[in-house]
Amino acid sequence: MKFFVLAYKNLKRRKSRSFLTIGGVAVAVAVLVCLLGFNAGYQEALTSDVDKMGYQVLVTAKGCPYEAATRVLKGEAGLKFIDEDIYKQIISDPDIDKITPLLVQLVYDPEKSDGKGGFDSYSGIERSYMELKPNVKLKSGEWFSSDDADEVILGYDKAESIQKKLQKTVGDKISIPGEDTNLVIVGIFEKTASLEDGDFFLPLKTAQRIFEIEGKLTSIGIKLKQIDRLQAFEERLYPIASIQVISMSQVKGTILNLVNSAKILIMSVAFIAIFVAIIGVINTILMSVFERTQEIGIMKAIGASKLDIFKLIWIETLIICTLGGIFGSIIAIFGGNFTELLVRKVMPYAPGGRLLLITPELLLFSFFGVIIIGIISGLYPAFRAASMRPIEVIRSGE
Amino acid sequence: MKDFAIRANKLKKIYSSEFEKIVALKEIDVEIKKGEFVTIMGPSGAGKTTFLNLVGCLDRPTSGKLDILGCDPAKSNEEKLCRIRIEKIGFVFEDFFLISSLNSLENVQLPLIFARNFKNNTNPETLLKRVGLDHRLTHFPNELSGGELQRVAVARALVNNPQILLADEPTGNLDTKNAQGLFDLFRELNREEGLTIVVATHNIRLGHSTDRIIHLNDGKIEQDERLVK
Repeated sequence: MKFFVLAYKNLKRRKSRSFLTIGGVAVAVAVLVCLLGFNAGYQEALTSDVDKMGYQVLVTAKGCPYEAATRVLKGEAGLKFIDEDIYKQIISDPDIDKITPLLVQLVYDPEKSDGKGGFDSYSGIERSYMELKPNVKLKSGEWFSSDDADEVILGYDKAESIQKKLQKTVGDKISIPGEDTNLVIVGIFEKTASLEDGDFFLPLKTAQRIFEIEGKLTSIGIKLKQIDRLQAFEERLYPIASIQVISMSQVKGTILNLVNSAKILIMSVAFIAIFVAIIGVINTILMSVFERTQEIGIMKAIGASKLDIFKLIWIETLIICTLGGIFGSIIAIFGGNFTELLVRKVMPYAPGGRLLLITPELLLFSFFGVIIIGIISGLYPAFRAASMRPIEVIRSGE
Repeated sequence: MKDFAIRANKLKKIYSSEFEKIVALKEIDVEIKKGEFVTIMGPSGAGKTTFLNLVGCLDRPTSGKLDILGCDPAKSNEEKLCRIRIEKIGFVFEDFFLISSLNSLENVQLPLIFARNFKNNTNPETLLKRVGLDHRLTHFPNELSGGELQRVAVARALVNNPQILLADEPTGNLDTKNAQGLFDLFRELNREEGLTIVVATHNIRLGHSTDRIIHLNDGKIEQDERLVK
């Protein structure tokens, strides 16, 4: 028999107490893994979302630049419209490499989300949209037959849901809720793993006509020849009073800054969970030490040294923390999807792709973190047990 | 001199608390030879357990000299006392004190976990067979009778082949038959292994089955009676 077996048998003696303590540690580890995983995942998903936009610069109507950018990221309409003339005015700027006009409208669909209702995003685009977004490619079908055709190209996810719900695909007609016009599905985009996968794409002129906002845009996406020319480009646009220029890297930075501020809150929650778990572990082990004072005395009487008793109690703590770490990691891996769902509901803007990034490194970090915490929290109970004098503890039971 | 297992000279033990001082042993002189089977008798509070605790290196004397197989507990640190306990002394208690989560075999194996480099031990299964419990190896303490529990405790005390076996009221929780059986086992171990055995008991009849009875009263040796067999 070894120390480990002895420690394990001691824990087995009070099954429910040991199980609850392990549960407490597991929850703390799961919280830590999920929160840290979310932090890393959000950052990566946001970066990928911004990169996939293809724009370096966005021109929108004046207002809060970040709100406007976030709305565009979310595939929603801008706050205000800008005149299409502005697009024609800046298209010839020497610093511009690629440029595309955009008109995004949200339409309420009462049938969406199994009858609960929700908004669908309709984007009016031109061919230049495809040039600016190299990862947007047609999976099936083709581009619009003309600039104002009553046609629609579906994002990958939207095509799947329409196929499933309405059994409609390329060649079939669909209607926009609340509008008279029927649109022919002419194509489906490949999956981009961004929010655009859930959008409807119309020719710009068709969108302007259907939504009765002719000559208007919500934004203009621009890729500069050289990004370091951004300031000069911005300065040239200053005289146009009704617009503002937003650099997407600035937007990304600002959102990440906000997320980083949230990180402090997130970490506080994780640390509270861990602190509670430590107290639980110390309490459990200390209680079992006090319950077994006589037993510890006997062990000392039959030859156990201080170090032996210290080791025994310490191993018990480590078993609790190791099992807690393993179960916590399993909970985090399998419960991650649920957490992601929850986060998406709560967050005002959640980028596409996986929000929760649980990497082996993160699991190892959390697992070894909890082991170290176990080592520390086992110190006091182990010390208390080791310093008991055999004669006194044997007598205490008489 | 080497023939003595235990030698006490003016051995004194005082227990001090905030309110009082209790002199448990009052400068007693006693010598117990190797291979002797000795009973310590006396009323409650006579100093029997105190004597066994000092001899068993569980406690240190207040004054006087004590020699346990050439070691002086008063001059030994905690680690040294621990080594003496594991290598030279076996303990049997009135309440058995077996670990409830371990079965008979594991209880007997327990001292071996703490023995580290000390390898002079007997196979636990052989010991349990010797005390007549080979059919109870995997039974837990709550599945054993009082007599069986004490036999497991004796096997545990013997697993490291001690030179001295100390038993504090070992028959206190046993019926007459089991008590006699335990003393028969002690006698057997004493004769066959040459084990020095010191037993504290109230049982006069059992005391008379040993080689010598030391009568303690109020911390003093009242009578040292050598029994002729």
